[in-house]
Amino acid sequence: MIRTERKYVEILMILKEHQEPMGAKRLSELLAERGYVMTDRAVQYYLRYLDECGFTRKIGNLGRVLTPEGLQETESALVDERIGFVISKLERLAFRSTFDPFTGTGDIAYNLTIVDEDNLEPLLDSFEDVKRAGCGFFNSYRVIYSDYRIPPGNAGIMTVCSITMDGVLQHNGIPVQMAYGGRIMVEEKKPQYFADLIRYQGTTIDPLALFISSGLTSITGYIGTGTGILLANVREIPVYAKKRALEVSESMQSNGFIFPLEMRSGNIYNLVGDPNRISLVSYSGMNYVGHAIENQIPVTNEIGAGNIPFAKISE
Amino acid sequence: MMSAPLKFVNHRIEEYAMQVTLDPKTGAGTVVYNLSLIHENDFSQAISVIRDTCRAGIAPSHLLGVKKPGEMIHDYVIPKDRIGLITICSTTLDGLLIRRGIPLNPIGGGVVEIVQNVPRRFTHLIRYDCTTIDPLQVLISEKTTSITKVMNTGSGCVLANIRECHMEAEPVIEEILDELSGSIFSGILELGLPNTPSLGVTVSPQYIGIVTLGGTNQMAAIRESGIEIDIQAIKGIIDIRELDSIETL
Repeated sequence: MIRTERKYVEILMILKEHQEPMGAKRLSELLAERGYVMTDRAVQYYLRYLDECGFTRKIGNLGRVLTPEGLQETESALVDERIGFVISKLERLAFRSTFDPFTGTGDIAYNLTIVDEDNLEPLLDSFEDVKRAGCGFFNSYRVIYSDYRIPPGNAGIMTVCSITMDGVLQHNGIPVQMAYGGRIMVEEKKPQYFADLIRYQGTTIDPLALFISSGLTSITGYIGTGTGILLANVREIPVYAKKRALEVSESMQSNGFIFPLEMRSGNIYNLVGDPNRISLVSYSGMNYVGHAIENQIPVTNEIGAGNIPFAKISE
Repeated sequence: MMSAPLKFVNHRIEEYAMQVTLDPKTGAGTVVYNLSLIHENDFSQAISVIRDTCRAGIAPSHLLGVKKPGEMIHDYVIPKDRIGLITICSTTLDGLLIRRGIPLNPIGGGVVEIVQNVPRRFTHLIRYDCTTIDPLQVLISEKTTSITKVMNTGSGCVLANIRECHMEAEPVIEEILDELSGSIFSGILELGLPNTPSLGVTVSPQYIGIVTLGGTNQMAAIRESGIEIDIQAIKGIIDIRELDSIETL
């Protein structure tokens, strides 16, 4: 029963990741890649069931697409597995972040913020504030118009997603774990303590999105006075990786990345840490979006929307 | 300047739960409470929303405390133009279980989908050992709840939390749940089977999951009705005599 539910959710997840209609044959290939070996006929059977539930819809002979109800189901089913999914989804983007800080080339991961064109001006003003204050993860962003995810009359803004850092550390041979998303109290531009932390491994919703929607940030305060509450991430690496991590961080900084804020083994600020792990604290790229939302600008935002070449966002 | 070491919610729950003295049979003793602040002008509308949630059975208790601007609750003064609303936190149940010696792990808080008045599954969960802020407090603003819809149609999403107890203690758990049914505090959504996921959430080997309604459902309903509300969950311990039935307010 549970195994069955797992399979139908996997079909919905595959359809969610692809825009075009998909037939049973292609679906059974993609399912096999993910460890679910099923015949085309079995997939047909599942698809008919999903049609009956209203989660999928047939488009002529082309195959199935996801309905809005099906999309909703991918965000509701299998709560236990979705607890790890917030970070697994980001780890995939991290692995695909091939950015080499020593040459300044390769791909980074980005967040995509979508805004009505009428609100683009105030949104960019907000983003500029964050850029000037230096409390993002990277000191630039890019505006785009033509993309299938951007509805007509809207604009998209790509900001660098801080999961890029995990990719860079990994590709430099440093095992890294994205541990926490949190909010950090800063006084006179100096970080003081974490106001709250949520561990990625223990939630079905991105921690930073939760802090923003709960109004628990004060990015505007920081920008105005140097005292406020900013979004931050905590990563953990082995103590043995310290020297290499310092080299990588320095080369990241020379490319315009703000990283790290603090790095130390054991306790860091008011977080009781493992003496055998180094915690790396950095401001999140989501401070851009958080500040816009504090300024009452209506936006939709996807954390970890994809990968693009670094040159496209640093121009 | 350093602040105290960060405390994760599972530890905060245990600390407060240990201080609960409520006796479900007599209805006397102390409970864990949530404190929420609303604007003075919204008071009568908020009370009517809370009354509706209690009548619909979406609130774990019909008891409510009201504090006026300037009044104190422990060391906290209710700010000017604000009203403090005190509701019983579901951590109170953990207190009752711990006091009878039942091995208990608080698991987490989240959102439960209700279909035609029957709880179906958790659709969101934040584990208590992974967060320093109460999950229900942050989930309210993510627009994950539809409590008004549950009240009107019997289907929608409510706030709930889950803990697990060792199956060896099942008779005692049932005794406590019996005492609670019909008392001033209840809200049990599901008592699971040993070794079986409760509403989709896995439990430890030989453990049973217990899912209860969050004590902040009334507050989420207030927020859904468009009233601005500031919620602080698992705030402290209060004597039950300081609370009144919503029907008398």
